[in-house]
Order: sequence, then structure tokens, then C-alpha cells
Amino acid sequence: MGKEESPQITRRTTRSSSSTPILKNGEETTKTSEPHPLTINDLVFGGEPIKLDELLSSFPGRRIQILELMRLLGPLNSPMLPLFLYGGTSTGKTSIILQIFRHLNRPFVYSSCLTCYSPRILFESIMNQLLLHRKNADNGYASAKRCERPSDFVVSLREALTNVLNTLKENSGKSSSRKPAGQANGRMIYLIFDNLELVREWDKSSSILPFLFELYDILNMPEVGLIFISKVSPDAYYSDRGYVEPIPILFPDYTEDSLRQIFMRNQANPKLYSSFLDVVLRTFSRITRRVDELSTAFSPLFKKYCEPLSDPGLVPNEDMKRKLFSHLQPHLAPALNEIFKVQSQPSPEVEAKQEKVKRKSNANKLGGREAFDEIDFHMSTSAKYLIISAFLASRNPATLDASLFDSTGGSDNRKRKRKSSEKSMEQKETAEQELLMKGPGTFPLERLLAIFQCLTSVVESSLGEDQQINEGLGAGNGDSGLMSDVLLQLSSLCNANFISKGGSCPLEGSTRYRATISEDLALKVARSLKFPLSKYLYRG
Amino acid sequence: MATPDHAENDLQPFFVLHKALVQKSERKSSGSRKIRRRIELSPISAKNAEKMEIGTGEERDDHHYEHLRMEAFNFVWSKIESTIKDVLRNINLNVFNEIHRWVCESFDAIKSCGTTLTKATHSYPIVTDATFRQLFTGLVFTKNMEFVDDLMTFEELGLHLKSHGCHVANLSSIDFSANNGIGGCLRSLLRQFLMVTLDAADISILASWYSDQGNYNKPVVVIIDDMERCCGSVLSDFILMLSEWAVKVPVILIMGVATTLDAPRNILPSNVLQHLHVSKFLLGSPSERMDAIVEAVLVRLCSGFCVGYKVAAFMRNYFLRQDGTLTSFIRALKIACVEHFSSEPLSFMLKALFVEENSQGFWSEEHALFPEEMLKYAFDLPSCRRNNTEERTGENLAHDLSELKRLQKCWSTTVLCLYEAGKYNKIQLLDLFCEAVVPCLGNSTASNHHLGSGISSSSDHSIHHQYLISEKCSFICQAIRKVRDLPVVLLYQLLKSWEKLTEDVIEIHDKVKELQSLLKFENGKSLKQDLTNIPKRHTSRSHLNMDKDSKVLNEKAARLMETMVRDYMQPVECIPFHEIVCFKNVDKLQSALMGDPRRRIQLDLLEFQKILLCSCCSNSSKAILPSMHDTSILYTLAQEHGDLINLHDWYQSFKSTVFQPSTKGKHKLKQSPAKKRKDTNESQNQSEASIQVRFCRAVTELQITGLLRMPSKRRPDYVQRVAFGL
Amino acid sequence: MKGRENPAEDALILLRSRICNPNFVFTPFSDSPDSNYSKLKFIISSSVTEACNNSILLLGPRGSGKTAVLELVIRDLLAEHADMISVIRLNGLLHSDDNCAVKEIARQLCVEHQLLFSKMASFDDNSQFMIAMLRECGLAHKTIIFVLDEFDFFTQGKQRLLYSLLDAMQSVTSQAVVIGVSCRLDADQLLEKRVRSRFSHRKVLFLPPSKEDLQRLLEHIFSLPVDTSLPNDYAVEFNMKLHHILADERFKEIINTLLNSDSTVKHLLRFLFYAVCHMDLESGFLSLDNFRTAMSSIQRQPKMEYLQDCSILELYILVCMKRLEVKEQNSYNFNSVMKEYKGIHDAYQTSDYYARNVCLRAFEHLVQRELICFMDNRGNNQSIEFRAVKLLISSHELYQGLKSYRSCPVILRKLVDQ
Repeated sequence: MGKEESPQITRRTTRSSSSTPILKNGEETTKTSEPHPLTINDLVFGGEPIKLDELLSSFPGRRIQILELMRLLGPLNSPMLPLFLYGGTSTGKTSIILQIFRHLNRPFVYSSCLTCYSPRILFESIMNQLLLHRKNADNGYASAKRCERPSDFVVSLREALTNVLNTLKENSGKSSSRKPAGQANGRMIYLIFDNLELVREWDKSSSILPFLFELYDILNMPEVGLIFISKVSPDAYYSDRGYVEPIPILFPDYTEDSLRQIFMRNQANPKLYSSFLDVVLRTFSRITRRVDELSTAFSPLFKKYCEPLSDPGLVPNEDMKRKLFSHLQPHLAPALNEIFKVQSQPSPEVEAKQEKVKRKSNANKLGGREAFDEIDFHMSTSAKYLIISAFLASRNPATLDASLFDSTGGSDNRKRKRKSSEKSMEQKETAEQELLMKGPGTFPLERLLAIFQCLTSVVESSLGEDQQINEGLGAGNGDSGLMSDVLLQLSSLCNANFISKGGSCPLEGSTRYRATISEDLALKVARSLKFPLSKYLYRG
Repeated sequence: MATPDHAENDLQPFFVLHKALVQKSERKSSGSRKIRRRIELSPISAKNAEKMEIGTGEERDDHHYEHLRMEAFNFVWSKIESTIKDVLRNINLNVFNEIHRWVCESFDAIKSCGTTLTKATHSYPIVTDATFRQLFTGLVFTKNMEFVDDLMTFEELGLHLKSHGCHVANLSSIDFSANNGIGGCLRSLLRQFLMVTLDAADISILASWYSDQGNYNKPVVVIIDDMERCCGSVLSDFILMLSEWAVKVPVILIMGVATTLDAPRNILPSNVLQHLHVSKFLLGSPSERMDAIVEAVLVRLCSGFCVGYKVAAFMRNYFLRQDGTLTSFIRALKIACVEHFSSEPLSFMLKALFVEENSQGFWSEEHALFPEEMLKYAFDLPSCRRNNTEERTGENLAHDLSELKRLQKCWSTTVLCLYEAGKYNKIQLLDLFCEAVVPCLGNSTASNHHLGSGISSSSDHSIHHQYLISEKCSFICQAIRKVRDLPVVLLYQLLKSWEKLTEDVIEIHDKVKELQSLLKFENGKSLKQDLTNIPKRHTSRSHLNMDKDSKVLNEKAARLMETMVRDYMQPVECIPFHEIVCFKNVDKLQSALMGDPRRRIQLDLLEFQKILLCSCCSNSSKAILPSMHDTSILYTLAQEHGDLINLHDWYQSFKSTVFQPSTKGKHKLKQSPAKKRKDTNESQNQSEASIQVRFCRAVTELQITGLLRMPSKRRPDYVQRVAFGL
Repeated sequence: MKGRENPAEDALILLRSRICNPNFVFTPFSDSPDSNYSKLKFIISSSVTEACNNSILLLGPRGSGKTAVLELVIRDLLAEHADMISVIRLNGLLHSDDNCAVKEIARQLCVEHQLLFSKMASFDDNSQFMIAMLRECGLAHKTIIFVLDEFDFFTQGKQRLLYSLLDAMQSVTSQAVVIGVSCRLDADQLLEKRVRSRFSHRKVLFLPPSKEDLQRLLEHIFSLPVDTSLPNDYAVEFNMKLHHILADERFKEIINTLLNSDSTVKHLLRFLFYAVCHMDLESGFLSLDNFRTAMSSIQRQPKMEYLQDCSILELYILVCMKRLEVKEQNSYNFNSVMKEYKGIHDAYQTSDYYARNVCLRAFEHLVQRELICFMDNRGNNQSIEFRAVKLLISSHELYQGLKSYRSCPVILRKLVDQ
């Protein structure tokens, strides 16, 4: 047996020797967080705790949920099963839970799966908060403990939690008589996981999600409370193996009157604003009931609404309201149908430039610049032809190319086109349906180039001469002039997201392209070239 | 801004082709390397050679002048380049200032819903209204689909903001690639801000960095160069993440958008757009920049180097039709410059001419050691052959040169005046310029005697002719017409600007002066009439006669303009010795700028005799000879097929061609099968394999040069021709 | 009043801690002879005392108290003969990968035997160490109990861990018990041949508790101890009221409906916890309403809730999709939905007809709410409006939702009805 002892002895020594670094970095983390050391009390929300009633008043339409949460969190030092808060975007889940903890002044660890976009970062952020570790320059912004696997995480989490809980115990033990402000309440610690729905996209093995749900049983520490916050309902998390689902708490979207209350909060001139809300709220809440979207929609509208007013302080009477409404009326419909507003910073010269650009059309010239009155960005002529041909290539069936583009070009292909369209009248709506379903078709490079060559040749032949005159000299090699370095143009079109491209090298035709530009943009481009696009477009 | 790599990309196929040729021709004839070298150098060397025999005996101090020209080139080009840089910077500057102002405003807006230093590092978001969760975003529209021009712009913007005390990070679409994911862009963000690279990049690190005393209370600006190219999902993740830390880390986004406002809409889903508080900025459009550059470089002649009308027209067309990038325009300019200084032996005078104010003094001590041949050559220049009256001395040369300089001055002044007028009609300087450099414009009478001598080729007559046709829509005429019907106030402004412009051309200047005095008088009168409110009829009448005599004024101004055009706007190519300062050879520029590679390759393959001047198949007959290079044989054979080539037939015909002895003429192809069979009977063992080898090699070369596509799975015995037309 | 306030709160805390503590919950099952507890205890203790190897599978639905009972057994065994047992706990969720499983075993062994554990040790070091320790413990007549929770996870991959464990146990010297805990009843079918041959197919099945077990369980959980800090009269009154409730038919009714949906103990505990949380602190007693509210809030229908959250426009889109499905349009995407939407508008001149991008936003809202989803996961560069979608709610749910929607336009109801 002695001989069997020996390897173990050596092993022990190796273990001891190899285990020293662990201890060392353990203490150096404590040392580095020395300059302004975090205490256990940094785990509470901090700031002055708020009363329950002001908490209730600050969240209109959320009374039920808040009281529910208070019940479930329970009195001091009462263990808790995992909670699961769910509800749509901007229904106040996160804010309310944070405010409740501010009210209760209990320690918690918050981590959002949006910020922590990978398991490792999630684990490390939790550990950093528990170990009261602060990243800064002199520890190279490194986290306190490196844990990538759930297994390592559980081990270190358990010991960290026990430490924290012990300190909490002795705190509450000694200061049970009187409690200094900012002192953490109770011996419980809560872990909050926000944006849980994002975890589903994390890893294909999807072991993290069941792990998080099982975490309570794995830890098996009654002093630890888990709170999950998710945008999607619990049934989106069902797995084949089933899971112990936490206690669900729904945060429904706000009803119209609670929306009104929310918007009425801290308004300078409540009367005025309420009259404004009378106008807009109902109609807008038919589209969306999200606070953030509504507020972004309202803020410019309210400015418009106030424009006729001399001073924003006055209380509007009936006819004033009517006047304001009639002033607002024209702006409502566009605001309803717009989701993405851009206000430009009007500085005189830029505006002037823009105006100049806008009124380019009266200079009747061919070439790139005239396009500015429709397209407000610069494309070279060849790029325009290329994009048009790409558009055609992904719209027209390849079988029609021969009839649409023949050597004689645009002159007689009108009647040809009509013939072909008549022939395939019955296929038309099926093709339309198809276009509706799978969008613009793909095409190989050769087809694009062929169409492009046809177009350019047509153009050169048709408006060759006057172009010569207007463009001055050098356009003599018109066709080849346009044809030169088409591939560069193509790549830059791909970069501009006008043509989407699958595959690698454009020289070997294996890759297929697809024109992703909208029809009206294509029409604009065509108009800027005086190119009869509709004539070439299948299905008229 | 200059991107030579583009040019290299264009040229790549040449090298491939030539390499292939060399490898195989080494097998054939050893002397071919020399030949090839001659091929590559041919344009320059030929040019030089011709110059040589013009200026006989120049070889002596050839090197001296080489050197002179070299440094002249360096001087001129550096001058041009710096001018361009300044111009562009000035164009961007006010937009930059505006952006900076906006950054400060939005930063204050963020600060207004304030946060304490300790809070900033906490992991949980600050509880605020939804509006505060929004991200201030500036969309900078670079109104050009091509992105090349704006590579520098955003860097400069970053520097500008940095210099005004913001934290700036420049991200580009490479950081937002799908396979790196969100980690990639965070990593590069932290690398730029913290100067550390972490394997687990995390935005909370940014927060803790920001909460350091040094970095606090400064806006954090993140610039994304090209939004269109970013991977949408990664970008939206990034934005969501930033918006979660919105108040704690006051990040301000600036995104460059090349095309339209739809681009962000298409890339980002609505819930991400929701988090953007967008305001837009417009950079100067390419045509504006182009005008600015043209004005500074080609019209104001910052360096004295100028281009002929063909070149100008070519460059204009290249800008409008090929690729609308300033980069390529500038590249073209540079190439022109290089070509000029490399080809024109007297071009070294440019520097001297424009460094010294009084070129007289320069010449007085220079002309002594000025070699005879040079003078001879100078006076043999086509532009001064016409007035051979005075004897050929340095003084005259110097005098003519200074004259040239003066004329150019007048010319540029006139063009600028025209431009001032044209501005009211949205006429672009580029067009005006291209018209103004066409020789014998404006005054057909004055320039008639130039016609024969100044530029002697048939095409120019056609130009002149064309010009006369397009008289109605010529820009100069438009400008002048605009002057005719210009309201008084604008006319006043116009004259003011003219006064400024024409300061150093005295005779025009005082003309403008007197016009102005007239106008002032008129204005005074009209104003008086406006002030004195008299019965209606009177006012109407007074208005009538008022705008009548303002019409008179317009007429005067227009006439002045016309006289200026006629007398002072003398295109550079009508001036003696203009070859020294002016570059005219458009073909060279074109071939250098866009040497349409595919076309070239095919041409070379088809008429290869021109290149490898081999004795064996120098006869110009189109017959396919076995002595020809395999690749060209194959390609010539391929011409007979459609875009699908049956490999077997191809191989057979190739074999037959190779086997036919060169003694027998071209009508071999008919009875090739019989012949082939006989041949194969005797030389079966050694030939077959080697033929196949050569065939394969040739086919691969064709594929390398991108003229063929290899057989596909579907039709294994067919190759496809990728070559589209010549 | 203040005097009454405290005991109620204490009682609440006590009840909550009881519910949250599985060891406490499952003690009533321990005494009966034929309970899983006694089976398990008998097996393990026999193999401990007779110094033989053994392997057991604990099977049963999730939340039926497998781990809890096992923990009880182990606790009691440790109490009986402490120095003869050392327990190694693994969890399939954490240690499914053999490498870190062996590492974890080595770590826990080190902890058990006061050795220093090195993080650097390789897989072979650790497995050698494990084997050696097995032998050591065998020679020292010390039983090692391996608890493999989520057993089915260990059967993924090459099952090297299981093989090495069971193989080591074939040697006479070693003395170990491997206990697999799994919620997959076919867990032993997942084993490889070589592993299964070494595995003793002893299974302990965990069935939902019977009625009287439940009754005992409830009383066990709820009845307050009379002889503690809690004021005596309060506790007595509390228990009395509790008995009334438990005896009440309506309460039995609630419990039955609850157990019909999910009859595991965990589910019951969640329900009880909820009920306890709603205990009125004023009176300080549980009431039937607490259980009613708990019932209503445990049994949720998330789809319906999210349907209520929808805006009118989103409802329109849902109805359009429903109509498309009624038309047996096998696959449809946003564009076809928009076509339908426009058709509806043209037919009935509805007041809310909005621009395309607004509808697209509403569409994305629905996707986020998971009322609809895309057919193909992660459609490639194709933009959203071309990807095929499908409804995630049945037409009946939609119908109910529209009926209960407060201000639902009549036209929508009409459209769904026809």
C-alpha cells in the first residue's frame, strides 16, 4: 500500500505547488480594487430609498404588478421560488423591478443578456459584481474570475455567494438594532437575468437556457432568489425535456388611459398636453401601444401643436383647441404613416447647396448630374445602365431576353414585347404571385453583361449624335467607353446594397446576383437617363 | 485619396497573359524575353525615340534635363496635390463644424438627464423615459454611390472632432462582418478607446473606462464609415447594446450613408430604428467638389500645368460616365502630368516659369547656357511655326513665354467671370471649362488664322463644326444670356464678384468699375423712386423705365462679357509655345487610365504578330499556322464556335492545325482528317501526349485570362466562352 | 394590531421557507415502508454495508422529487455511518462533457479527502486519480456514491465517463454506487452496449403522489408548530382554519384541476407558494381566495394575453393571415399579407389603412411577440417581406381573442366569422 501511496504524495505536492497561483490572483484582485473599494452595500440600488406609494404613483397602470411582485418577494429574509416576468417591449419590467429593489433596499445582481452577449461574459459579469470587482486600467480591464463553462461558473458562484451571504449575515446580525442608510437589507441576495429571450439564439447546443432555469435547484441555496425578465411568454421556452417553469408574472401592454397617465407625467402645461392627447392618442394607439414608439411620434407633433401659441404656459379654451387642432390636422396623416423620422440640421449653406442640387433639372443635359432632381446621390452613367440591366435581369424571365433585346435594340421591340406578353397572358398572374412570394430573381453574371451591352448599344445608336455634341469629345468610343471596367462598377453596386451577390469570384459564373433595388428607384434612374424602362419591363 | 491599387487591379490580366506567353515562348525561342521587355516599355521608349530624333544631339546633357524635368514634375504635382487637399478640406469644413455643434448639443441633452459617476459603472440601466434611451445619430450623406472619395473624409472628421475634445472611434464595415459578430466591433471599439485588446470584449468595460476621471464629461463619438456595407444583424445588436447603456456612456453615433435614406430602413429592423434619434448632414456633392478642384487646378492654374481640350473632354466624360469619383479624376490628372513631363523635353521650364515672378530675369541668365538644339526644338514647335519672323533667341522665347503666361491669366479671369454669371443658371464650371479650352471658340474671326497652325488635324475642324451646330446650347452663350436677363440686385452682386476677379487684368477691371458706377447710380435712382410714394401710374411708369434702363445695364454687361470672351478668352492651344505647359495627348492618357483589359487580351491573342514580332508567322494572312502560339491558335479556333465549345471538336481541329506542315498553305483544314490520320500513323507515340499537354495548357491559359469557363457538371464535354465581344 | 402583525409575518416566512426546502417537503414520504425513500435507502445502505458495487436509475417526470428524496436518503445515511460514505455529485447540464466531468469528480474527491486540487491537471491525470481513489476507498472500505443528475446528458457522445466509472467498478477492490437521475424514462435505452452490460438495471420509478399522500403533504407543509416562537393561540387558530380549508370541497376541486394539468409535486409547490404569498397579513390566515387567485395566475394562456396586447393594426394583420390560411394558400409572406390587407380595405373601406412601413413594423411586433413566426429559421440575405411566415395561434384562439378584445372593430369579427 505504501507504494501506492507514493504517486499520490507526489500528486499532492504537484497539486499544492500548482494551486498556489490561484490563491495569489485571488488576493491580487482584492488588492487592485483597493483605491475606492466596493463594499457589500454597493449591491443595493443605492440612492435614497423611495416609499411604496410614490413607487406606485410613478408607474401608472402597473399597480397590480407591483403589489404582486412585493407579495412574491415577500417580507425580509423569506426564501423565494424563481420568478419570471414577461411582457412586451417597454412595459416597464426592468424599471419596476429595479425600483422595487430600490424601495426594498435589498442586495441584488443584475445582468442583461443583451449586454452580456455570450455565456462567458454573462458569467463573468455576475462574478464581478459578486466579488465586488471593478474593472479599471491597472487591472487591464480584466474580470475577477475567468469562467467559460457552466461547471466552473457554478463552483465559483457558490463560493462567492456563500461569502456574500456570510457578510450579509454578520451585517444584519450586528446592525439589527439600527440600520445606517444605504445598508443592505436582509440576508437574501437576488440574481436578475434580463432579456432572457436572447439566450435562445446564443448556442446551438442550447445547454445554457435549461441551465439557467435549473440554476435554483443546482445551487440549492434558499437565500438566493432568481428573477428572469423576458419579452416572450414562458411557452416559448418549452423544450423536449421539459423544465420546471418559474412563477409567471405578466406585464401587459398599457391600456389607453394608462398611456394617457404616463404621458401626462411631469408635463409643464398639463391642460394643453391633455388637449393634445385628446387629438392624437386614440388614433395612434390603434397602430401601436408601445410607449417608446408613441413618445417618439408625439414629441415633434406636440411642437407643431404648440407653434401657433404665443406662450406655452396658457390654458387653451375650446376654440383655441379647435384652432390648434386645425393647425395640427395636416401633419397627422404623414406622422401616422411614418416610422422613422429624420430632422436635418438646417444650416444655410448646406440648405443652399441642397436647393441648388434640387433645381438641377432645368439645365437640360444628359449624363450624371441631371439625375440629381430625382436621385440625390451621384452615380456614373455606366453604373446607372448596369443597375437598370440588373433590375431587368432579376425581373424579366430569362426566356424573354431574346425577344426584348435583339441587336436592333429599342426601336421595334415594343411590338415584340406585346406579342410575347399576349402569348403568356395566363402565366402573368402566376408570375406576379411568384414575384410577390420570392421577390426578385437571381441571374448569372453573363446574362447581366449581355443585357447591359444590349442597353448601351441601343442607347449609343439612338441618342448617339446629340450626346456627342453635348458631351463634347472623347465619347466617340461610347459603347466600349461604357463597357470598360464594368466589374468594378458591379462591385461598387454590390457594396451599395443595390445588387446582392452570393458566392465568391465574379469571373467564374458560379455566383448568381439579385437586384434588390425597389422599382421606383429603378424608374428614377431610368428617368434620369431618359431610358424607357417600362418598355423593357415584363408584365408592363 | 489617390488609389493606385485600382490601376494595378485593372492591369492584372496583362501580367497574367504575358507571363503565360513568356513561359511557353522560352520553350520556343530564347530571345523572347528581350522582345517582351520591348513590348512593355514600348509607349515610353517610342516616344522618347521620336523626341530624340527631333532634338538631335540632346543625348549629351540628356541626363541633366531628365533631372530638371523630374524635379519640375515633383514640384508641380506636389503643388497640385496640396491645392486639391486644401480645396476639399475647405469644402468639408463647414459641414464638420456643423456636426461638431450638433455633437455638443446632443451631449448636453444627454447630460441634462444626468447620471452620477458611481451609477455609470453599474450593470443595470438607468431608469429614464424612453426618449432618453434613444441614441443620437447623425447620418452623413456622402452623395456618391462610390465610396472611394470619402475614405479620407471620415478620418478627417474624426480628427476634427478629436481636436475639439471628443473621444472618437472610427469603425468601418469590416468590423461589422457577420462572422465576427458583435464581439468583433466591440473589440475594435475598445482597442481604439482603451488601447487594450481583450478576448472577451464587453461594453461595461467601456463604461468603467469612461468613468475614469480623465475621460469623464466628454462626448464619445463612434463613426461608422459605410453603413450600407455593414451586416445588418450585427449593426442592430450594436445599436441595441449602446442604447441600453445610453445615458451612462454618452455615445453619439455618426454613420456615413452613400445612397439614400432608405438604406438604414432596409438594413435595420424597426425596433432598432426606434432607438435612433436621427439628424442628417450633407457633404458636398461630387460635382461641387469637382468644380472646386477644376477651378483651383485647371482654371486658376495653381501650378501652370494645363490640359488640352481633348484631354479635358475625355476627363469630363470619364468622370460623368465611367466612374464618378474624384479619385479617378485626380488619378487621370496625375497620369497626364507624368506623361507630359516624361514626353515633353521642354517641360522643365514649367517650374522656372511659375516659380519666378519675372521670368525675364530668369531667362536673362539662363538663356546663355541654353543649348542650341533646345531653342531650335522650341521654335520648331508647331504652335510657333506660323510666326517665324523674329529670330530664334532666348529673349524672344522668354518674351513669348511671359506673353503666354499673361494670356492664360486673361483666359482664366474670363472663364471665372463666365462661371460667376453661369452660377445663376446652375451651369457647372466643368462644362464651361471644357468649352473654353476648345480652340477657336467665341471669336471665329479672331481665331481663323490659328485654325491651320494651332492644331492641325481633320477632327478639329469637325469639332469646330460641331461647336457651331451646338451653338444654341453652348454653356458660354447660356451664361451670357443669363447676364442679359438678370434682376438688378443679382447683377449688382455679379459685378461685385467680377470686380474682385478682374483685379489684376486692368483693362477689364476698369470697364467693370464704370459699369458698377452706372449701376450704383441706377440703384440710387430706383431706390429713390421706391421711397417716394407717388400716384400709381407714376410708380408703374417709373418702374417701367427703371427696369428698362436696368435692361440697358444688362445689355452693357452682356456686351462686356462678350468682348471679354472674344478678346481675352484665348484658349491655351492657340498660344505659341503652349506645348511646354499643356498636355494634349489624349490617347496615351486613355490607354493608361482605362486599358480595357479583356479587350486587350483578346486583341493580343488574335493579332499576336504585332507583339511577338516573330519571323515564322509574320505574314499578315489570317491563316492559322502551326508555328503560332498555342493559346492564340486555340482562341482563333474558338472564334468559329458559339459560346459553347465542344472540347472534342476543338481538340481535333487544334491537333490538325498543329500537325499541318507550314509549307502547305491554308486550305489544309478541309482534308485535315485524312492528313491527320497519316500523321498520327507515323508519329503516334510521341505526338499524341504532347499535343494533349499543349492543348490542356493552352486551355488553362485561356481560363486564367478569364476568356473561358471550365466544363460544368451538367455538360462535361463543353467549355463556355466568357468573353463578351471585343 | 402590531402584536398580530408579527406572528403572521413569521408564519409567512416559515411557510415560504418550508415550501422552498425540498428536504422538508419530502420527509412525510420517508416513513412508509414501500415508498421510494425506503427502497432507495435499503439498496444503498446494503451496498454500503456489504461493501459491494451497485448502480441505480431514478426515473420520473421533472419535479417529481427524485433528487430531493435521494438527498434525504444520503443525508440519513451520512448521519448513520458518516466515515464510510463520500458523495460525488455531477449534473448532466454542467458536466455532460467527459473532460470537465472527470475534472469535477477529481475536484470533489480532493475536497472530500482534504487534498489540493490542481486546475492544470489533464484528463488522464484526473481519470487516473479517480481510479486510484476508487481503489483506495475500496481498500479502506469506504463507499463512493456518484450521483449523476440529468443522467441522459451523460449518454450523449462517447459515454467515456460512464464506461470508465462502471468499468472501474468491475474490479473487486472498488466500492461505489452510481445513481443516475433522469426525467427520461428510457434513459437506460440510451446507453451503449458496453456500458449497458456493466450497468445493473435497477430502476426506481417516481409516480405522482396519491390523494392521501397529498393530503398529508398539505397538512405537513401548512400546519404551524404549536411549540415555537409563534404565539400559541395564533398557531392553533391558524391550523384550525387550515383544516376547514383543506376539508372544503371547493379546495379539493381546485387541487384536482391543478393536478389534472400537471401532477408533479414541484408544480403543486409552486401553486402553494403563490397561494401563501397572497396570504393576508392583516388577518394572518390563509383563505380559499388565496388558492383561487393562485390557481388563476398559475394557469396562464400567454398567447391570449399577447393577443390582448396587440394594437388594432396588428389584429388586422393577424386576421389577414388567418384568411390566407383559410384560402389554403400553402405559403405566404408579408407581401401577400399586404395584398390581402389592401383587398380588405378596398372591400370594406376600413378606417385604418396605413402605409406599408407602418404595417411592416406591426408585422415585426407580431414576430417579436411570437404570435407569428417565419417558416425557415434564419432566412438568408432575403429581406423580411419575402420570407414565408405562419401563424402560431389557432383560429379558435384568434376568435376568442377578438371576442374578448375591448375595442375590437366589428369588421374584424365579421371577417373571422365568415
